[in-house]
Amino acid sequence: MKYVGQSVGGLRDSQLVAGKGTFVDDIMPPGLTHLAVLRSPYAHARIRSIDTSRAEKAPGVLYVITGQEIKDNTNPIPENYDPIPMGAKRVYWYALCIDRARYVGEAVAGVVAEDRHSAYEALKLIEVDYEQLQPVTDPEEALKPGSPLVEPAWGDNVFISRDFIVGNPDQAFAEAEGTVKGVVQSNRITGTPIEPRGCLASFDPYEPMLTFWGSTQDPHPLRVFLAEILRVPENTVHVIQPNVGGGFGLKQPTFQEEPLVAYLAIKLGRPVKWIEERYENFQTGGHARDTRFYYEAAFKKDGTVTGLKLRVIADIGAPSGLCGWGMSFVTWYTLPTFYKVPNVEMRLRSVATNKCPWNSYRGYGKDAASFVMERVMDHISKATGVERTAIRFNNFLQPDAFPCPRPSGAILDSGNYPGALRKLLDHVKPDEFAREQESERKKGRYLGLGISMEMTPEGASMPGSVIVGGYDGTTVRVTPSGDVMVLTGVTSPGSGNETAMAQIAADALGCEISRVRVIQGDTDKCPWGLGNYSSRSVIMGGSATHQAATAVREKMFDIASRMLRAFPEELVAEGGRIFVAKDGERAVTIDAVARQAYRHPHGEHMEEIEPALEATRHFRISNVYHQPEKQGRFSSYPTWPYAAVACVVEVDRQTGFVKVLRYCIVHDSGKIINPLLADANLHGGITQGIGSALYEQIVYDEFGQIRTSTFMDYSIPTAVEVPKFELLHQETPSPFTPLGTKGVGESGVGGPLNALCSAIENALPDLQLHLTKLPLKPNAVWAAIQQAEGARS
Amino acid sequence: MKRAVGVTVNGRAQDLSVDTRTLLVHMLREDLRLTSVHIGCTTGNCGACTVVLDGKTVKSCCVLAVDVAGSEVTTIEGLSTNPDELHPVQEAFIEKHGTQCGFCTPGMVLAAVSLLKSNPDPSEDEIRHGISGNLCRCTGYHNIVLSIEEAARRMRDDKPNAGSRRVASGSVPG
Repeated sequence: MKYVGQSVGGLRDSQLVAGKGTFVDDIMPPGLTHLAVLRSPYAHARIRSIDTSRAEKAPGVLYVITGQEIKDNTNPIPENYDPIPMGAKRVYWYALCIDRARYVGEAVAGVVAEDRHSAYEALKLIEVDYEQLQPVTDPEEALKPGSPLVEPAWGDNVFISRDFIVGNPDQAFAEAEGTVKGVVQSNRITGTPIEPRGCLASFDPYEPMLTFWGSTQDPHPLRVFLAEILRVPENTVHVIQPNVGGGFGLKQPTFQEEPLVAYLAIKLGRPVKWIEERYENFQTGGHARDTRFYYEAAFKKDGTVTGLKLRVIADIGAPSGLCGWGMSFVTWYTLPTFYKVPNVEMRLRSVATNKCPWNSYRGYGKDAASFVMERVMDHISKATGVERTAIRFNNFLQPDAFPCPRPSGAILDSGNYPGALRKLLDHVKPDEFAREQESERKKGRYLGLGISMEMTPEGASMPGSVIVGGYDGTTVRVTPSGDVMVLTGVTSPGSGNETAMAQIAADALGCEISRVRVIQGDTDKCPWGLGNYSSRSVIMGGSATHQAATAVREKMFDIASRMLRAFPEELVAEGGRIFVAKDGERAVTIDAVARQAYRHPHGEHMEEIEPALEATRHFRISNVYHQPEKQGRFSSYPTWPYAAVACVVEVDRQTGFVKVLRYCIVHDSGKIINPLLADANLHGGITQGIGSALYEQIVYDEFGQIRTSTFMDYSIPTAVEVPKFELLHQETPSPFTPLGTKGVGESGVGGPLNALCSAIENALPDLQLHLTKLPLKPNAVWAAIQQAEGARS
Repeated sequence: MKRAVGVTVNGRAQDLSVDTRTLLVHMLREDLRLTSVHIGCTTGNCGACTVVLDGKTVKSCCVLAVDVAGSEVTTIEGLSTNPDELHPVQEAFIEKHGTQCGFCTPGMVLAAVSLLKSNPDPSEDEIRHGISGNLCRCTGYHNIVLSIEEAARRMRDDKPNAGSRRVASGSVPG
C-alpha cells in the first residue's frame, strides 16, 4: 500500500493556516437574526409564570419564546441513545424548560432580535416568577431517602442501577492473604472546544426545506432528531456541518438550542443564529467524569488479585437527551480493565443531581475506569511491597487470552499488555531515572516517575440507538474524468480523518491521492452515517471507504480486463494505471476506464456492466453482541486500544506545584493509517488528560451555583504546562476490521490521571502518599504533603 | 450610538461607522468579513481573536472598535493572500501539522509571527511562553512548537524564495 501507513499531511491544513476555514459563526446570510437564551439562575426552581411583554417591545426584538409554546408545538428532545437497554430511565426534556428548571443555565426563554446586542439586552426585560426549590448537589445525599428529587416522576434520583457478580467475591475476601480498601474521586470536568457551540437555521417555506448549519459532530443523526422534535418530515431537513472548532464528544446532539433555533427559523421565516458564549458553555455545554469509587481488593502475598468489589457512584447531573450519562455505564463496563480478576462484584449507581447534564467527553468513562483500577494496583503494590510494574505483570491478561470475555459482558478483541509495558520500561529506563532522582534529590529537587496503563475501548454500538451504532457508510465515486470523490457518513471536527479516508481510497483504487477529494458533513450529499464519536471514524468510516473503493476497483477491473483482454484476477492498479501484473506494458489508465464507464455505456467493453463508477458501502463490524445474556449483559465495544504510559514530574515541596517534565506513551491502536495524524491526536488527548489531572475542575457550591464559568477559573493547559511528548507504538491489528484498524481519537486522555498521582508519590517516597482525588492542584498536593508530614512528626 | 472610525486594516484604509459598544473583533468579522478572527471566550483568555494592532498582538475581544481609529490592524488575511504565497510560519504549520481543527490557528500563527519578529532564535521554553496567551485544545501544542521551531529555522536561513514555494496540504513524505 502506497499511502496507508504514511504520514500524509492534513488535507485541510493549508486552508486552516490561512484562516479560510468556514465555521458556523462565519456564515452570515442576508436577513440574519440572532437568538439569545435566558437561562435559569437557580439550580432548582419552579417556573410559576413568565412575563415577556416588556422584552417584546424592546428595540430590535422580533420574537420572544417561552416553554409553553415549545411544549405546544414540539416533541421532547429524543435521547441520544435509548436508556432502557442499559437499565436507565426515560426523561422528557424540551428545547425550553416547561415549568421547572433543574440546573443553573437550563434554557428558560429565548429572544430573537435583529442584532446580538439587542437580543441580549432584551433578556434583562423578561420577568420570570420563580419559586426556588431545594436542590441536591451531592450524589450520595441524592441517594438518601427524603432527598429532593431532580425528576419527581422517578420517585428517587437513581438513573442507572446495575449490579453484577462474577465468581464468588465474598469467598475470595474470606480467603485473602491481604486486602486494601479506599475511595477514589475523579473530578467534574468539561472539554471546552475553543470554538463554542453554535448553529444557524434557515427555512424555505416553498420547497419546503429547513437548512441547518451546526457545529455538530453528527449531522445525519441530528437531522433525525430535529425532524422528530419539530414534527416535520426528515427529508425536508438538510443538516450541514461546516468546519468544527473542536468537538471532543461535546458536540454530539441534541442540545436545547439546536431545535430552538430550527423552530424559530421556521416560525419567523428568517435565518436565526445562536452562538454560545463561553460562560454558557461551562454552565450548559456538558460535564463529565465526576465519579466516586469505593473499592476493596483481595490478593495473595505476591500481589495476585483474587477479588475485587467496586461501588461506582457517578454524579451525572440533571438527566437530559444528551448521551453523557452513558459514560458512567462505560466506566463500569470497562472494569477491571487489564487484569484477570476471577471474583468481581461491581455495583453502579448513576445519580441525578441539580447540575449541568453530563455530555460525552473524550475518554467517555474509560478514563475513570483506568484511573480507579490503576490506583487499586498501586495500592496493592504499596500493601504487598511488590514493585508497581511487577504487580501489573503478575495480573495482566496475557496475549493468548483473546477474545476475552469480561465481567461486564465486554469481550476484549486483542492486545499485548505486557508487551506495551515492557517496551515502555525499555524506553524510560527506571533504573537510570532512579540514579538521576537520587542525585537531584540531594540538590533539593524532587523528581518522580509515574507509571500507568490506559484502556480505551472504541467504536461503540448500543442497542436501539439512532446514533451509536457499529457501522458507517461511504460512497466512492470515480467521475467521468477519472477524479475521485469520497463522501463519508463520518465527520471530522478537526481530527483529520478526511486525510485517512483519502489514503484508504487512493490505495484501494490504485490512484494518486492528489486525485481524491473527500466530502463530509452534509446530509444532502453524503450517505447515511453516524458521524464522529467513540474514535470510530477510521474504524467504521475507514472500513466503509475501503469496501466502497474496493467495489469500484473491482468494477474498473471488469472493464479494464475487457480493454486489455486479460482476466480481472491478473490485474493490478497503481499510480492511476490498471495493468497486467506480469506485463506492465499491458495497461490502461483509470481515466480511460472512466471514459468507458460513462461515455460508452453501450460500447464493447461495457456489455452487462452497469454504467458509471460508484459504490456505497455500509461497513458493520462483526464482534458486537446485542442479544443480552442471562445477567442482561451485552458486548458493545468491538475494539480495545490501550497504552502504557510514564511521566516524570518535579514537585515543589513548598508549594505543591507539579511540573510535568517528560511524558512517554507506548500506544496500541492496531494498524495506524497515518502516523502524523494519529500522533497529533495523541498529543491532544494526553494534554487534555494532564489538564484534567492537574488543573481542571468544575466547581459547584452547595446551592448548585457554578463557580467556574470562564477560562480564568477553569484553567486548561497552555503551551507552558506540557512538555514535548515521547510517543512509541505497538501494533496489534484488530482481527475484525479489513485494515486492522482500531480507534485512536480518545487515546491518551486517561493515562495521566493515575500516572501523575503515581509520579508525585514517587517524588516524595518518605511521605508514603496515596493520592485519591483529582485534580492535583498545587493546594491539594500541598495539603497532602502537610498532612503526611504532620502524621510523621 | 454610532461613530466614524478610520482605520487601516491589512494595508487598506477603511472608513467605518460603528456602534460604540462594538468590539474590535466584531467590527473585523461583521463589518469587514475578516472571519479568520475567531471568538472563543470574549474574556481575553483564549487568544482565538488575536490580531496585530500597531505592531503588537492584542486580543481583539478586549479592544473597542472606536479605540482603533487611526491605527493599523493586521489579521491573518493580511499575512498572505493566496495559497501559493504563504508566510514561512504558515508553511511550517502545514509541514509540521501544527493545526487540527483550525479554530485557534490564525491567532496562534500571528502570535508566532510576532514572537519570531522580536526573537528570531527562540528556545523551546521561549516559544512556549511566547504562545501562552493562545489556547489550543487539539494539538497539545506539540506540533505547534515544532512548527514555530521550523519557521524560525526557515526565516533565519532566509531562503529568498521561501515565500513562493508551494507547500501543498496532503503532501506525501518524499
